[in-house]
Amino acid sequence: MEFFGYERPDGSVGVRNHVAVISSGRCANEMAVMIASAVQGVVPIIHTHPCVRLKDDNERALRTLAGIGSNPNVAAAIVIGVGCENPPPAQIAEEIVKSKKPVEALAIMGSNGFQEVLDKGLTTARRMVAEASQMQRKPFPLSHLALGVKCGASNATSGISGNAVTGQVFDRLIAEGGTAIFSETTEVIGATHLLAKRAVNKDVARRLEQMVARMEARIKATGEDIRGSQPTRGNIAGGLTTIEEKSLGAFAKTGTSPLQGVLEYAEKPRGKGLFFMDGTAMTGELIGGEAAAGIQIHIYNLGGGLTSSFRCLPGWAGGLPMLPEIVIVSNPSRPRDSQEKECYDIYADTIIEGKETVDQVADRFFKEIIATASGKPTKQEMRSGYRELLVLYTTGPIL
Amino acid sequence: MKRAMRINPDDNTATALNDLKAGESISLVSKSGPVGEMTTRQAVPFGHKIAVVDIKKGAKILKYGEVIGLATQPISKGEHVHTHNVESALLPGAKEAR
Repeated sequence: MEFFGYERPDGSVGVRNHVAVISSGRCANEMAVMIASAVQGVVPIIHTHPCVRLKDDNERALRTLAGIGSNPNVAAAIVIGVGCENPPPAQIAEEIVKSKKPVEALAIMGSNGFQEVLDKGLTTARRMVAEASQMQRKPFPLSHLALGVKCGASNATSGISGNAVTGQVFDRLIAEGGTAIFSETTEVIGATHLLAKRAVNKDVARRLEQMVARMEARIKATGEDIRGSQPTRGNIAGGLTTIEEKSLGAFAKTGTSPLQGVLEYAEKPRGKGLFFMDGTAMTGELIGGEAAAGIQIHIYNLGGGLTSSFRCLPGWAGGLPMLPEIVIVSNPSRPRDSQEKECYDIYADTIIEGKETVDQVADRFFKEIIATASGKPTKQEMRSGYRELLVLYTTGPIL
Repeated sequence: MKRAMRINPDDNTATALNDLKAGESISLVSKSGPVGEMTTRQAVPFGHKIAVVDIKKGAKILKYGEVIGLATQPISKGEHVHTHNVESALLPGAKEAR
Protein backbone atom coordinates (compact mmCIF):
# COMPACT_ATOMS: atom_id res chain seq x y z
CA MET A 1 0.00 0.00 0.00
CA GLU A 2 1.12 3.56 -0.59
CA PHE A 3 0.22 7.21 -0.04
CA PHE A 4 0.97 10.38 -2.00
CA GLY A 5 3.34 12.73 -0.17
CA TYR A 6 5.99 15.40 -0.62
CA GLU A 7 9.59 14.19 -0.71
CA ARG A 8 11.96 16.26 1.45
CA PRO A 9 15.72 16.70 0.86
CA ASP A 10 16.57 14.50 3.89
CA GLY A 11 14.54 11.59 2.48
CA SER A 12 11.52 12.07 4.76
CA VAL A 13 8.04 12.47 3.26
CA GLY A 14 5.55 15.17 4.20
CA VAL A 15 1.77 14.72 4.06
CA ARG A 16 1.34 18.52 4.06
CA ASN A 17 3.39 21.28 2.40
CA HIS A 18 3.28 24.20 4.82
CA VAL A 19 5.69 27.07 5.27
CA ALA A 20 6.09 27.50 9.04
CA VAL A 21 6.86 30.72 10.89
CA ILE A 22 8.25 29.71 14.26
CA SER A 23 8.62 32.23 17.06
CA SER A 24 11.76 31.56 19.09
CA GLY A 25 10.22 32.98 22.27
CA ARG A 26 6.81 34.17 23.36
CA CYS A 27 7.73 37.83 22.71
CA ALA A 28 7.85 37.06 18.97
CA ASN A 29 4.42 35.36 18.74
CA GLU A 30 2.74 38.46 17.38
CA MET A 31 5.24 38.83 14.53
CA ALA A 32 4.82 35.17 13.61
CA VAL A 33 1.02 35.56 13.52
CA MET A 34 1.25 38.80 11.49
CA ILE A 35 3.32 37.05 8.80
CA ALA A 36 1.19 33.89 8.78
CA SER A 37 -2.06 35.83 8.47
CA ALA A 38 -0.70 37.98 5.63
CA VAL A 39 0.57 35.14 3.42
CA GLN A 40 -1.59 32.19 2.39
CA GLY A 41 0.05 28.81 2.92
CA VAL A 42 1.99 29.94 5.98
CA VAL A 43 1.25 28.55 9.45
CA PRO A 44 2.37 30.14 12.73
CA ILE A 45 4.04 28.04 15.45
CA ILE A 46 3.56 30.06 18.61
CA HIS A 47 4.04 29.09 22.25
CA THR A 48 4.64 30.45 25.74
CA HIS A 49 8.38 29.72 26.20
CA PRO A 50 9.95 32.63 28.09
CA CYS A 51 13.67 33.46 28.30
CA VAL A 52 13.68 32.84 32.05
CA ARG A 53 14.02 29.05 32.24
CA LEU A 54 16.72 26.61 33.33
CA LYS A 55 19.08 24.67 31.03
CA ASP A 56 17.01 21.46 30.70
CA ASP A 57 13.91 23.38 29.71
CA ASN A 58 15.79 25.62 27.27
CA GLU A 59 17.33 22.56 25.61
CA ARG A 60 13.96 20.87 25.37
CA ALA A 61 12.49 24.04 23.85
CA LEU A 62 15.28 24.06 21.25
CA ARG A 63 14.72 20.38 20.45
CA THR A 64 10.95 20.90 20.15
CA LEU A 65 10.96 24.04 18.00
CA ALA A 66 13.78 22.78 15.77
CA GLY A 67 12.05 19.40 15.52
CA ILE A 68 8.77 21.00 14.43
CA GLY A 69 10.66 23.02 11.81
CA SER A 70 12.36 19.82 10.61
CA ASN A 71 9.06 17.89 10.51
CA PRO A 72 8.41 16.57 6.98
CA ASN A 73 5.04 18.41 6.83
CA VAL A 74 7.02 21.66 6.76
CA ALA A 75 8.40 22.58 3.32
CA ALA A 76 10.37 25.58 4.56
CA ALA A 77 10.68 27.52 7.81
CA ILE A 78 11.24 31.03 9.09
CA VAL A 79 12.41 31.36 12.70
CA ILE A 80 11.68 34.79 14.07
CA GLY A 81 12.53 36.47 17.36
CA VAL A 82 13.87 39.44 19.21
CA GLY A 83 17.30 37.81 19.37
CA CYS A 84 17.74 37.73 23.14
CA GLU A 85 15.68 34.55 23.62
CA ASN A 86 17.06 31.23 24.75
CA PRO A 87 17.16 29.52 22.29
CA PRO A 88 17.67 32.45 19.84
CA PRO A 89 16.32 32.21 16.25
CA ALA A 90 19.75 31.51 14.71
CA GLN A 91 20.33 28.50 16.97
CA ILE A 92 16.92 26.97 16.11
CA ALA A 93 17.54 27.58 12.40
CA GLU A 94 20.99 25.90 12.63
CA GLU A 95 19.24 22.73 13.77
CA ILE A 96 16.48 22.89 11.14
CA VAL A 97 19.01 23.38 8.33
CA LYS A 98 20.34 19.86 9.09
CA SER A 99 17.14 18.59 7.42
CA LYS A 100 18.41 20.44 4.28
CA LYS A 101 15.16 22.35 3.77
CA PRO A 102 15.07 26.13 3.20
CA VAL A 103 15.21 28.00 6.52
CA GLU A 104 15.75 31.64 7.47
CA ALA A 105 16.44 33.15 10.89
CA LEU A 106 15.25 36.71 11.52
CA ALA A 107 15.96 38.75 14.66
CA ILE A 108 15.19 42.34 15.61
CA MET A 109 18.48 42.72 17.50
CA GLY A 110 21.16 43.66 14.96
CA SER A 111 18.55 44.92 12.48
CA ASN A 112 17.09 48.38 11.86
CA GLY A 113 14.02 47.49 13.85
CA PHE A 114 10.66 45.73 13.96
CA GLN A 115 9.31 46.95 10.62
CA GLU A 116 12.42 45.88 8.71
CA VAL A 117 12.26 42.36 10.19
CA LEU A 118 8.53 42.13 9.53
CA ASP A 119 8.98 43.21 5.88
CA LYS A 120 11.82 40.73 5.45
CA GLY A 121 9.66 38.01 6.98
CA LEU A 122 6.78 38.75 4.60
CA THR A 123 9.06 38.75 1.53
CA THR A 124 10.73 35.50 2.62
CA ALA A 125 7.37 33.86 3.37
CA ARG A 126 6.00 34.74 -0.10
CA ARG A 127 9.12 33.38 -1.78
CA MET A 128 9.02 30.16 0.26
CA VAL A 129 5.31 29.61 -0.48
CA ALA A 130 5.97 30.11 -4.21
CA GLU A 131 8.83 27.58 -4.13
CA ALA A 132 6.85 25.06 -2.08
CA SER A 133 3.94 25.33 -4.54
CA GLN A 134 6.12 23.76 -7.23
CA MET A 135 6.55 20.50 -5.29
CA GLN A 136 4.38 17.59 -6.42
CA ARG A 137 2.94 14.68 -4.44
CA LYS A 138 4.45 11.32 -5.37
CA PRO A 139 3.61 7.77 -4.28
CA PHE A 140 5.54 6.38 -1.29
CA PRO A 141 5.25 3.13 0.69
CA LEU A 142 3.57 3.34 4.12
CA SER A 143 6.96 2.72 5.74
CA HIS A 144 7.47 6.50 5.37
CA LEU A 145 4.52 7.24 7.68
CA ALA A 146 4.75 7.92 11.41
CA LEU A 147 1.65 8.33 13.59
CA GLY A 148 1.32 9.70 17.09
CA VAL A 149 -1.56 9.10 19.49
CA LYS A 150 -3.22 10.59 22.53
CA CYS A 151 -6.40 9.46 24.21
CA GLY A 152 -8.85 11.56 26.13
CA ALA A 153 -12.22 11.33 27.82
CA SER A 154 -11.49 7.66 28.50
CA ASN A 155 -14.14 5.44 30.01
CA ALA A 156 -14.79 1.72 30.37
CA THR A 157 -15.44 1.42 26.64
CA SER A 158 -12.14 3.00 25.54
CA GLY A 159 -10.17 -0.23 25.86
CA ILE A 160 -12.66 -2.24 23.81
CA SER A 161 -13.64 0.32 21.15
CA GLY A 162 -11.47 3.33 20.24
CA ASN A 163 -8.24 2.03 21.74
CA ALA A 164 -8.76 -1.44 20.28
CA VAL A 165 -9.30 0.10 16.82
CA THR A 166 -6.25 2.38 17.13
CA GLY A 167 -4.16 -0.58 18.33
CA GLN A 168 -5.09 -2.55 15.20
CA VAL A 169 -4.26 0.44 13.00
CA PHE A 170 -0.85 0.79 14.70
CA ASP A 171 -0.19 -2.94 14.21
CA ARG A 172 -1.08 -2.66 10.52
CA LEU A 173 1.11 0.39 9.91
CA ILE A 174 4.06 -1.22 11.74
CA ALA A 175 3.57 -4.42 9.71
CA GLU A 176 3.98 -2.19 6.61
CA GLY A 177 7.27 -0.88 8.03
CA GLY A 178 5.88 2.36 9.49
CA THR A 179 6.32 4.03 12.86
CA ALA A 180 4.01 4.86 15.77
CA ILE A 181 4.71 6.93 18.87
CA PHE A 182 2.74 7.03 22.11
CA SER A 183 3.39 8.88 25.35
CA GLU A 184 1.88 9.81 28.74
CA THR A 185 4.46 8.66 31.28
CA THR A 186 2.05 9.19 34.17
CA GLU A 187 -0.23 6.54 32.65
CA VAL A 188 2.55 3.96 33.06
CA ILE A 189 3.19 4.58 36.78
CA GLY A 190 2.26 1.44 38.74
CA ALA A 191 2.11 -0.72 35.61
CA THR A 192 5.60 -0.29 34.15
CA HIS A 193 6.31 -4.04 33.93
CA LEU A 194 3.22 -4.59 31.74
CA LEU A 195 4.75 -2.30 29.13
CA ALA A 196 8.39 -3.20 29.82
CA LYS A 197 7.75 -6.84 28.93
CA ARG A 198 6.96 -5.71 25.36
CA ALA A 199 10.43 -4.10 25.02
CA VAL A 200 12.67 -5.57 22.29
CA ASN A 201 15.56 -5.89 24.73
CA LYS A 202 16.57 -5.36 28.37
CA ASP A 203 18.14 -2.00 27.61
CA VAL A 204 14.84 -0.58 26.30
CA ALA A 205 12.96 -2.07 29.28
CA ARG A 206 15.47 -0.49 31.70
CA ARG A 207 15.23 2.91 30.02
CA LEU A 208 11.43 2.77 30.27
CA GLU A 209 11.64 1.90 33.98
CA GLN A 210 14.08 4.76 34.60
CA MET A 211 11.91 7.23 32.72
CA VAL A 212 8.78 6.27 34.66
CA ALA A 213 10.69 6.33 37.98
CA ARG A 214 11.98 9.81 37.14
CA MET A 215 8.41 11.09 36.54
CA GLU A 216 7.20 9.47 39.76
CA ALA A 217 10.08 11.06 41.73
CA ARG A 218 9.14 14.45 40.25
CA ILE A 219 5.55 14.00 41.45
CA LYS A 220 6.67 12.80 44.91
CA ALA A 221 8.93 15.85 45.23
CA THR A 222 5.75 17.95 45.35
CA GLY A 223 4.55 15.91 48.34
CA GLU A 224 1.96 13.86 46.39
CA ASP A 225 1.87 10.12 45.78
CA ILE A 226 -0.41 9.06 42.94
CA ARG A 227 0.05 5.33 43.53
CA GLY A 228 -2.84 3.73 45.36
CA SER A 229 -5.21 6.34 43.95
CA GLN A 230 -5.68 4.26 40.78
CA PRO A 231 -8.16 3.24 39.55
CA THR A 232 -10.21 6.24 40.66
CA ARG A 233 -13.71 5.94 42.16
CA GLY A 234 -15.09 7.05 38.82
CA ASN A 235 -13.12 4.33 37.01
CA ILE A 236 -14.45 1.68 39.44
CA ALA A 237 -18.03 2.88 39.00
CA GLY A 238 -17.44 2.55 35.25
CA GLY A 239 -16.32 -1.06 35.59
CA LEU A 240 -12.51 -0.87 35.86
CA THR A 241 -11.42 -3.15 38.71
CA THR A 242 -7.62 -2.80 39.08
CA ILE A 243 -4.76 -0.53 38.02
CA GLU A 244 -3.58 -3.30 35.66
CA GLU A 245 -6.91 -3.27 33.87
CA LYS A 246 -6.86 0.52 33.50
CA SER A 247 -3.28 0.57 32.21
CA LEU A 248 -3.81 -2.34 29.82
CA GLY A 249 -6.89 -0.59 28.43
CA ALA A 250 -4.74 2.48 27.80
CA PHE A 251 -1.92 0.40 26.28
CA ALA A 252 -4.49 -1.25 23.99
CA LYS A 253 -4.17 1.82 21.74
CA THR A 254 -0.56 0.85 21.02
CA GLY A 255 -1.48 -2.53 19.56
CA THR A 256 0.65 -5.60 20.10
CA SER A 257 3.94 -4.68 18.39
CA PRO A 258 7.18 -4.88 20.36
CA LEU A 259 8.45 -1.65 21.90
CA GLN A 260 11.50 -0.68 19.82
CA GLY A 261 12.70 2.23 21.88
CA VAL A 262 12.12 4.90 24.50
CA LEU A 263 12.46 8.57 23.56
CA GLU A 264 12.98 11.73 25.50
CA TYR A 265 10.34 14.39 24.77
CA ALA A 266 10.81 15.72 21.20
CA GLU A 267 13.54 13.16 20.43
CA LYS A 268 13.52 11.58 16.96
CA PRO A 269 13.26 7.79 16.83
CA ARG A 270 16.15 5.86 15.28
CA GLY A 271 14.55 3.15 13.20
CA LYS A 272 10.94 2.14 12.62
CA GLY A 273 8.24 0.50 14.71
CA LEU A 274 6.62 1.35 18.05
CA PHE A 275 8.21 3.95 20.36
CA PHE A 276 7.33 5.38 23.76
CA MET A 277 8.05 9.07 24.42
CA ASP A 278 8.35 10.79 27.80
CA GLY A 279 5.47 13.20 28.21
CA THR A 280 2.46 14.21 30.24
CA ALA A 281 -1.26 13.75 29.65
CA MET A 282 -1.62 17.35 28.47
CA THR A 283 -2.62 17.18 24.82
CA GLY A 284 -1.13 20.47 23.62
CA GLU A 285 2.20 19.49 25.12
CA LEU A 286 2.24 15.90 23.94
CA ILE A 287 1.46 16.83 20.33
CA GLY A 288 4.45 19.21 20.18
CA GLY A 289 6.83 16.48 21.32
CA GLU A 290 5.45 13.94 18.85
CA ALA A 291 5.52 16.47 15.99
CA ALA A 292 9.16 17.28 16.82
CA ALA A 293 9.89 13.55 16.65
CA GLY A 294 8.63 13.62 13.06
CA ILE A 295 5.08 12.20 13.08
CA GLN A 296 3.07 13.39 10.06
CA ILE A 297 -0.42 12.59 11.42
CA HIS A 298 -1.78 12.68 14.95
CA ILE A 299 -4.58 10.44 16.19
CA TYR A 300 -6.81 11.80 18.96
CA ASN A 301 -8.71 8.95 20.47
CA LEU A 302 -11.80 10.04 22.38
CA GLY A 303 -13.74 7.72 24.64
CA GLY A 304 -16.64 10.04 24.01
CA GLY A 305 -17.53 11.29 27.44
CA LEU A 306 -16.94 14.83 28.59
CA THR A 307 -14.58 15.99 25.85
CA SER A 308 -17.00 15.37 23.03
CA SER A 309 -19.27 17.87 24.74
CA PHE A 310 -16.83 20.49 23.55
CA ARG A 311 -17.83 19.63 20.00
CA CYS A 312 -15.66 21.12 17.32
CA LEU A 313 -13.57 23.50 19.37
CA PRO A 314 -9.92 22.80 18.56
CA GLY A 315 -8.59 24.14 21.88
CA TRP A 316 -8.85 20.86 23.75
CA ALA A 317 -7.26 18.92 20.91
CA GLY A 318 -4.10 21.05 21.10
CA GLY A 319 -4.10 21.46 17.34
CA LEU A 320 -0.73 22.24 15.82
CA PRO A 321 -1.40 23.87 12.42
CA MET A 322 1.24 21.85 10.53
CA LEU A 323 -0.02 18.52 11.82
CA PRO A 324 -3.28 16.95 10.62
CA GLU A 325 -5.19 15.38 13.49
CA ILE A 326 -7.70 12.58 12.97
CA VAL A 327 -10.23 12.41 15.79
CA ILE A 328 -11.93 9.12 16.57
CA VAL A 329 -14.84 9.06 19.01
CA SER A 330 -16.14 5.77 20.25
CA ASN A 331 -18.89 5.91 22.81
CA PRO A 332 -22.53 6.67 22.07
CA SER A 333 -22.83 8.16 25.56
CA ARG A 334 -25.67 10.47 24.66
CA PRO A 335 -27.60 11.47 21.56
CA ARG A 336 -25.60 13.70 19.25
CA ASP A 337 -27.05 16.75 17.60
CA SER A 338 -26.56 17.28 13.89
CA GLN A 339 -23.54 19.56 14.30
CA GLU A 340 -21.71 17.16 16.57
CA LYS A 341 -22.10 14.49 13.89
CA GLU A 342 -19.93 16.71 11.68
CA CYS A 343 -17.15 17.25 14.22
CA TYR A 344 -15.09 14.09 14.16
CA ASP A 345 -13.34 12.05 11.48
CA ILE A 346 -14.15 8.53 12.63
CA TYR A 347 -17.20 7.42 14.62
CA ALA A 348 -16.62 4.06 16.29
CA ASP A 349 -19.86 4.04 18.30
CA THR A 350 -20.94 1.25 16.00
CA ILE A 351 -18.78 -1.25 17.94
CA ILE A 352 -20.73 -0.67 21.15
CA GLU A 353 -24.02 -0.56 19.22
CA GLY A 354 -23.27 -3.87 17.50
CA LYS A 355 -23.43 -2.45 13.96
CA GLU A 356 -19.72 -2.96 13.15
CA THR A 357 -16.86 -5.06 14.53
CA VAL A 358 -13.50 -3.71 15.74
CA ASP A 359 -11.94 -5.15 12.55
CA GLN A 360 -14.40 -3.29 10.29
CA VAL A 361 -13.85 0.07 12.01
CA ALA A 362 -10.06 -0.48 11.92
CA ASP A 363 -10.32 -1.02 8.14
CA ARG A 364 -12.26 2.22 7.72
CA PHE A 365 -9.83 4.08 9.97
CA PHE A 366 -6.75 2.79 8.13
CA LYS A 367 -8.20 3.97 4.80
CA GLU A 368 -8.89 7.39 6.33
CA ILE A 369 -5.25 7.65 7.48
CA ILE A 370 -4.00 6.91 3.95
CA ALA A 371 -6.47 9.43 2.49
CA THR A 372 -5.36 12.06 5.02
CA ALA A 373 -1.70 11.30 4.27
CA SER A 374 -2.46 11.81 0.58
CA GLY A 375 -3.99 15.25 1.13
CA LYS A 376 -7.59 14.85 2.34
CA PRO A 377 -8.11 17.55 4.97
CA THR A 378 -9.23 16.41 8.41
CA LYS A 379 -12.35 17.90 9.99
CA GLN A 380 -10.15 20.10 12.14
CA GLU A 381 -8.14 21.32 9.11
CA MET A 382 -11.39 22.28 7.36
CA ARG A 383 -12.26 24.63 10.20
CA SER A 384 -10.38 27.89 10.19
CA GLY A 385 -10.00 30.42 12.93
CA TYR A 386 -8.87 29.75 16.44
CA ARG A 387 -5.62 27.80 16.93
CA GLU A 388 -4.28 26.63 20.26
CA LEU A 389 -0.82 27.68 21.44
CA LEU A 390 1.87 25.02 21.53
CA VAL A 391 2.66 24.13 25.13
CA LEU A 392 6.27 23.13 25.79
CA TYR A 393 7.07 20.34 28.22
CA THR A 394 8.97 21.75 31.17
CA THR A 395 10.27 20.22 34.37
CA GLY A 396 11.90 23.20 36.06
CA PRO A 397 10.60 26.45 37.51
CA ILE A 398 10.31 29.75 35.70
CA LEU A 399 13.02 32.01 37.14
CA MET B 1 -29.85 -9.77 21.94
CA LYS B 2 -27.64 -7.95 24.45
CA ARG B 3 -23.88 -8.36 24.05
CA ALA B 4 -20.55 -8.67 25.86
CA MET B 5 -17.09 -8.48 24.26
CA ARG B 6 -14.44 -11.14 24.94
CA ILE B 7 -11.47 -9.15 23.65
CA ASN B 8 -8.95 -12.00 23.53
CA PRO B 9 -9.96 -15.65 22.99
CA ASP B 10 -7.94 -16.60 26.13
CA ASP B 11 -9.87 -14.18 28.38
CA ASN B 12 -12.01 -15.58 31.20
CA THR B 13 -13.99 -12.33 31.32
CA ALA B 14 -16.04 -10.34 28.81
CA THR B 15 -17.04 -6.67 28.97
CA ALA B 16 -20.77 -5.88 28.91
CA LEU B 17 -21.79 -3.71 25.95
CA ASN B 18 -25.27 -3.24 27.46
CA ASP B 19 -26.69 -3.21 30.98
CA LEU B 20 -27.22 -6.94 31.61
CA LYS B 21 -29.90 -8.36 33.95
CA ALA B 22 -29.59 -11.60 35.92
CA GLY B 23 -30.70 -14.69 33.99
CA GLU B 24 -30.49 -13.11 30.56
CA SER B 25 -29.33 -14.89 27.44
CA ILE B 26 -26.56 -12.77 25.83
CA SER B 27 -24.32 -12.90 22.76
CA LEU B 28 -20.54 -13.06 23.20
CA VAL B 29 -18.57 -11.18 20.53
CA SER B 30 -14.89 -10.95 19.61
CA LYS B 31 -13.14 -8.14 17.69
CA SER B 32 -14.29 -9.88 14.49
CA GLY B 33 -17.92 -10.77 15.32
CA PRO B 34 -20.21 -13.08 17.37
CA VAL B 35 -18.51 -16.14 18.92
CA GLY B 36 -21.27 -17.70 21.07
CA GLU B 37 -24.00 -17.23 23.63
CA MET B 38 -24.24 -17.55 27.41
CA THR B 39 -26.59 -16.82 30.31
CA THR B 40 -25.94 -14.23 33.03
CA ARG B 41 -26.29 -15.22 36.72
CA GLN B 42 -26.12 -11.67 38.06
CA ALA B 43 -26.78 -8.16 36.81
CA VAL B 44 -23.71 -6.67 35.10
CA PRO B 45 -23.75 -2.93 34.27
CA PHE B 46 -22.53 -1.56 30.92
CA GLY B 47 -18.71 -1.50 30.81
CA HIS B 48 -18.36 -3.99 33.68
CA LYS B 49 -17.05 -7.55 33.37
CA ILE B 50 -18.82 -10.91 33.37
CA ALA B 51 -17.13 -14.31 33.94
CA VAL B 52 -17.33 -16.42 30.75
CA VAL B 53 -16.03 -19.58 32.50
CA ASP B 54 -15.93 -20.76 36.13
CA ILE B 55 -12.95 -19.15 37.90
CA LYS B 56 -11.28 -20.66 40.99
CA LYS B 57 -10.25 -18.64 44.05
CA GLY B 58 -6.71 -17.29 43.52
CA ALA B 59 -6.89 -17.77 39.73
CA LYS B 60 -5.75 -15.11 37.29
CA ILE B 61 -8.43 -12.81 35.86
CA LEU B 62 -7.74 -12.32 32.14
CA LYS B 63 -8.77 -9.42 29.87
CA TYR B 64 -6.88 -8.28 26.73
CA GLY B 65 -5.15 -11.70 27.05
CA GLU B 66 -3.35 -10.30 30.12
CA VAL B 67 -3.64 -10.70 33.89
CA ILE B 68 -5.68 -7.83 35.34
CA GLY B 69 -5.91 -9.29 38.88
CA LEU B 70 -6.54 -12.37 41.02
CA ALA B 71 -9.86 -13.89 42.13
CA THR B 72 -10.38 -13.44 45.91
CA GLN B 73 -13.21 -16.02 45.88
CA PRO B 74 -14.61 -18.60 43.44
CA ILE B 75 -16.50 -16.90 40.59
CA SER B 76 -19.09 -18.82 38.56
CA LYS B 77 -19.66 -18.39 34.85
CA GLY B 78 -22.19 -15.59 34.35
CA GLU B 79 -21.31 -13.70 37.54
CA HIS B 80 -20.23 -10.06 37.83
CA VAL B 81 -16.43 -9.74 38.09
CA HIS B 82 -15.31 -6.62 39.98
CA THR B 83 -13.66 -5.26 43.14
CA HIS B 84 -15.82 -7.52 45.39
CA ASN B 85 -14.20 -10.69 44.00
CA VAL B 86 -10.93 -9.50 42.36
CA GLU B 87 -7.85 -7.70 43.64
CA SER B 88 -4.80 -6.28 41.92
CA ALA B 89 -1.88 -8.65 41.48
CA LEU B 90 0.40 -5.60 41.49
CA LEU B 91 -0.88 -3.77 44.53
CA PRO B 92 -2.59 -6.35 46.80
CA GLY B 93 -4.26 -4.57 49.68
CA ALA B 94 -4.74 -1.37 47.68
CA LYS B 95 -8.49 -2.00 47.81
CA GLU B 96 -8.53 -2.07 51.63
CA ALA B 97 -6.34 1.03 51.84
CA ARG B 98 -8.72 3.04 49.69
